[in-house]
Amino acid sequence: MDSEGRREEEIIKALSAHLGEGRVIEASVSRERRVFITISPEDLQGALRFLSEEQGFRHLSTITGVDAEDGIEVIYHLNDGKIALSLRVTVPKANPILPTIVDIIPGAVLYEREVHDLFGVVFEGHPNLSPLILPDGWPEGVWPLRKEWDIKRIRRKLKGGKDG
Amino acid sequence: MDEARFEIPIGPQHPALKEFEYFKFTVEGEKVVDVEPKIGYNHRGIEKAMEDRTYIQDLYLVERICGICSDAHTTCYCQAIEELMEIEIPPRAKYIRTIMAELERIHSHLLWLGLVGHEIGFDTLFMYVWRDRETVMDLLELISGNRVHYATNTIGGVRRDIPPEMTDEIKEGLGKLEERTRFYKELCLEERTVAQRAVGVGVLKPEDAIRLCAVGPTLRASGIARDVRKDDPYAAYGEIPFNVVTYDGCDVASRILVRCDEVIESVHIINYCLDNMPKGPLRAKGMGRAVKPGEVVSRVEAPRGELIHYAKSNGTNKPERYKVRSPTLGNIPALCKMLLEGYIADIPIVIAGIDPCFGCMDRVSFVDVKSGRNWVWSHEQLRRYSLEWYRT
Amino acid sequence: MGIVDWSRRKSPWLLHFNAGACNGCDIEVVAALTPRFDVERFGMLLRGSPRHSDILVVTGAVTLQVKDELLRIYEQMPRPKFVIAVGACACSGGVFKNCYNVLEGVDKLIPVDMYIPGCPPKPEAIIDGVLKLLKRIGQREG
Repeated sequence: MDSEGRREEEIIKALSAHLGEGRVIEASVSRERRVFITISPEDLQGALRFLSEEQGFRHLSTITGVDAEDGIEVIYHLNDGKIALSLRVTVPKANPILPTIVDIIPGAVLYEREVHDLFGVVFEGHPNLSPLILPDGWPEGVWPLRKEWDIKRIRRKLKGGKDG
Repeated sequence: MDEARFEIPIGPQHPALKEFEYFKFTVEGEKVVDVEPKIGYNHRGIEKAMEDRTYIQDLYLVERICGICSDAHTTCYCQAIEELMEIEIPPRAKYIRTIMAELERIHSHLLWLGLVGHEIGFDTLFMYVWRDRETVMDLLELISGNRVHYATNTIGGVRRDIPPEMTDEIKEGLGKLEERTRFYKELCLEERTVAQRAVGVGVLKPEDAIRLCAVGPTLRASGIARDVRKDDPYAAYGEIPFNVVTYDGCDVASRILVRCDEVIESVHIINYCLDNMPKGPLRAKGMGRAVKPGEVVSRVEAPRGELIHYAKSNGTNKPERYKVRSPTLGNIPALCKMLLEGYIADIPIVIAGIDPCFGCMDRVSFVDVKSGRNWVWSHEQLRRYSLEWYRT
Repeated sequence: MGIVDWSRRKSPWLLHFNAGACNGCDIEVVAALTPRFDVERFGMLLRGSPRHSDILVVTGAVTLQVKDELLRIYEQMPRPKFVIAVGACACSGGVFKNCYNVLEGVDKLIPVDMYIPGCPPKPEAIIDGVLKLLKRIGQREG
């Protein structure tokens, strides 16, 4: 238990050292095997490459999008076989662009599409960002998991889309 | 394409209709050269709906993400909310959660084994396995009152007890299940049809399994010993001795063997729980607490693999954000890899090999780059094609 | 009319369609085929084609992605045809009310002749529902 607690802290220190002074915006160990780290979008690829290639975090469980106050959070849920490390970046809602990570972790290919479907985040360099889970004919610009698209508004838009 | 492209009007639905294929295959003669998965027929909008419901209401919604592994979802969910509330559930509840989870694993793996039998034309196997599976359905109903959607988990613990009076009946049922599963495993190892259809088919090399972030029995059949119950223990798993089953074959046959052995492991886990069940309450005290603002990641080993939930709370009685990633989605990139360079006739069994959600391959479409021909087949047509192909 | 009708009633051919269900109802529909419940003793068979089916058995709340397909299948079935909604979702949307990608029930799209509620209904209940439907068809025509 103690050695694992140290491992969680070690990872944060190693990432900090790798990215440089102050580049890790926020970091916490909420309990054993649970680490949360916030970094800037510019550091995303560098951090992911470091964590997956040098720290053993090769497994990506999924990518979560969150419509937060200061923009859209994109959280990469990594795993090294024991520790769940959630790496967060925030992009502005008006211009939600991130580089793809499929060249680093090929298993990310569908998760990026899903975040794109639900939040409108564009992953530059992704080989195929076409809709994954939304139905054919879903209207452009309706990102259902953004807060401004509540169910009533979505339904109105879907009806309107049919008639209009 | 300079040749005339035509669509062969096969399939139950008229070809002029807008199909929704789950997989679009580009083929060259008999071989698959490209795969494009198209999923989403089952997308209901659950994550959005969860933001509009209270935590208790969401428990019943989350349960119905999947009827085959609903207990995995409720376990994962309850753990997430309990962590946000900083509650530890009582020991007896942990053991009961473990028992229900393992009973679900048994029902799910046997269900799958029967379907695999059906895929390779072995309908007798399907009928026998599903008959025997009724034993575990009876146990689930005995404990929870329902065969599907047991609703035994609640935030803070469990809603139903497994009293000592039930132990004999459960153990008797488990004994039968273990015996039958050993029989089916032997059958699969000896049957030539199974060997022909499953050995060396749907190969997923360990390196690809890791790169593509595969999970569950699919991953373990490529020799990778990852299992959330062992790596990131939850419920009572941290105290229970059990084996993580792996096989090195990297093929469909290995996936069959992994699941058979996992059923037997599950039987042992349940027996251990029954023999070592702690006494005490079923639910944590002080449940009136609000859910503090925060975020958690909850993980569970569902029958199909790693299930992960992410929850963000904002201090109200409704979640700010709830994210679910089911194991099947995690295996689709690996599945595509397995299908490439394989034969059309192997498609049904390879897809079945990852144990996808039930209706996941209701229809498949093909484009042959050599002839320019494209066509749509129903699952049944593809299955029959495979049976024919292997007969000759 | 008499003999064809009788054989239809005594030996209905069913088409099972999953309209975005969680699979809970689907596995109980399939379980109805297996030895414990053995729906085939009633002459009921699960067919693959709408053109040969009398009864469409639908599970799920009907997602937007499948609704066109469901409609087409229904239109392809020859008359007389009947629709059974299996499970709370197919009956009325069930727990998926107010989900953006869901129609909330089969009868929002096509007429339903029998509702079998449950979440999921047990195989016995499903068989019972089909038999009740057959009896009603018989009474209507008899």
